[in-house]
Amino acid sequence: MTITTKHESEAVSQELQGRIQEPGAGESFPSPGRKRIGISKVRRLVLLGIILLFMLQFLKVKALVGGLSGSVAVFSLRFIDVFAYLESLLSSRSFTITAFLAALPIAGIYLIFGRAFCGWACPMDFLFGLINRVRPPKMKGRPSSSKIGYGIAVAFLAGSFLIGIPLFTNYLSHITNFFRFITGGVFYALDLPFEPSTLFFSSGVLVFLLVLELVSPRLWCRVVCPIGKTYGLFNRVSLLRLTFAKSTCMECSLCDRRCYMQVRIAKHINRPSLRDTNCIYCGRCVEGCETKGRIVKMTLWRQR
Amino acid sequence: MLFSRRDILRILLFAAVDLTLPFSPLHDRPLYAAKEEFTGPLPNIDIGGFIRPPGALPEKDFRARCISCGVCVNVCHTMKYDAISIAGIREIRNFGTPSIKDMRDFPCALCMECPRHCPSGALQKIEKENVRMGMALIDLSLCFGWNGDVCLSCSKACPLGGKVFDFYNGEWGNQPYINESCVGCGLCVKYCPLGGSAIKVVTREQYKRVRNTYVLEFKELLEMPHEERYTIIYGRNLPQIMEKGRFIEREYR
Repeated sequence: MTITTKHESEAVSQELQGRIQEPGAGESFPSPGRKRIGISKVRRLVLLGIILLFMLQFLKVKALVGGLSGSVAVFSLRFIDVFAYLESLLSSRSFTITAFLAALPIAGIYLIFGRAFCGWACPMDFLFGLINRVRPPKMKGRPSSSKIGYGIAVAFLAGSFLIGIPLFTNYLSHITNFFRFITGGVFYALDLPFEPSTLFFSSGVLVFLLVLELVSPRLWCRVVCPIGKTYGLFNRVSLLRLTFAKSTCMECSLCDRRCYMQVRIAKHINRPSLRDTNCIYCGRCVEGCETKGRIVKMTLWRQR
Repeated sequence: MLFSRRDILRILLFAAVDLTLPFSPLHDRPLYAAKEEFTGPLPNIDIGGFIRPPGALPEKDFRARCISCGVCVNVCHTMKYDAISIAGIREIRNFGTPSIKDMRDFPCALCMECPRHCPSGALQKIEKENVRMGMALIDLSLCFGWNGDVCLSCSKACPLGGKVFDFYNGEWGNQPYINESCVGCGLCVKYCPLGGSAIKVVTREQYKRVRNTYVLEFKELLEMPHEERYTIIYGRNLPQIMEKGRFIEREYR
């Protein structure tokens, strides 16, 4: 996913270096006929693709069974979301090798890609994206304190330990409720045993999140979601990060304005890289930059 | 006028009933009105909790491990058994967890696919014989085999067959008894030809609680003198059985 992005952005920036001149006074960007970076398109396709892959299980094709909290791929590869694993580990107060081996590959993937889960796999990003088309998000002012999210995550973990139930994953997780909603809908339509109250609850949670998105864009993602916070910590050590090329920044701050996770990009433009815990690698800053990928990049390996 | 308005109305009504009869739920009713919505077997014994999918850890550990990801539900759906369903919001503590609710129409077939797929380890891979989902209890006042008939449907449906079923053949029927090797899959519940089934699957914990009473009743019936048994069967049991009816197509052939 991000590999194509990296190649794409590199290819485009190389093309740009050949084609356009240095920005001078009075030059307007983008000039007509120049290639645009399609990160958002690819990203939305990947998001949709993952959802559709999970939908295949209702056609009795066992490509990806379950949901993004816990799933089984191609018959026997078991996966479990990292935060769900932590909650389950704490609530059961015992270690099983099965669950650990299911969490390991996911942890491995996101140690490489950081918080790209939120931007490239989470179905809520897709839904929020649809809401954003209706009402474009206006990121105003200072970033709201997202540190409270760590407190929320710890509270859920502590609660799971004390009560003995994985609290967030079972009740409030947007991922669980998304897939439960779809499973419930399909089963209800096929007249199979399914509790209608489950469908109501899950749709209630989803509607609440969508309304929240209308009111305060990505408040859930930026501040509340403990899954995001966990992967955000992975950002600190992941291979994928934002890097900045030594090039003349026009200080237009378009990158900051396009970022809906309120990551302060322009401030760090003179540093080699940025590993913000809120960055979900959606690519809007890369696209939004006036130089279109020359300055702000998402990089997976060592910068050249 | 050839037909009065009343005649036309009658004709239309009959036409409507005739045309919709193949699609109505009344179509396949047997001779006596078999009502599956009656109180089920053993109304005095509660299920006692949730019948979890096979291979489940003990209830407290299961609840702690289960992340309600829905893999078991979907695997069961892919296998076309559709036995596992998700608990609703009314069960607050168990919301989202899987259980086998409708034993009458969608029992567990013991395909053992769900433990193989459970990513959180709430369902463990075990042998079919070691599954302890629950315990099937025959309602001795409703079972055909205990009230003058010879049925055998439940034992034929049982995947463990002879290991689980003991027959106390007597003058009042073949009198089946389910011993403690029962895994609780519920196939016997589905194939019992009595309307609403004469078998109920309860949790293992609940079985421990009711075992003494149940075994006592069983022993009493076996040792009962002829006249007393006759009175019970013809006086109390058979009217109930007649009301519930017999579904021939349910019998495991």
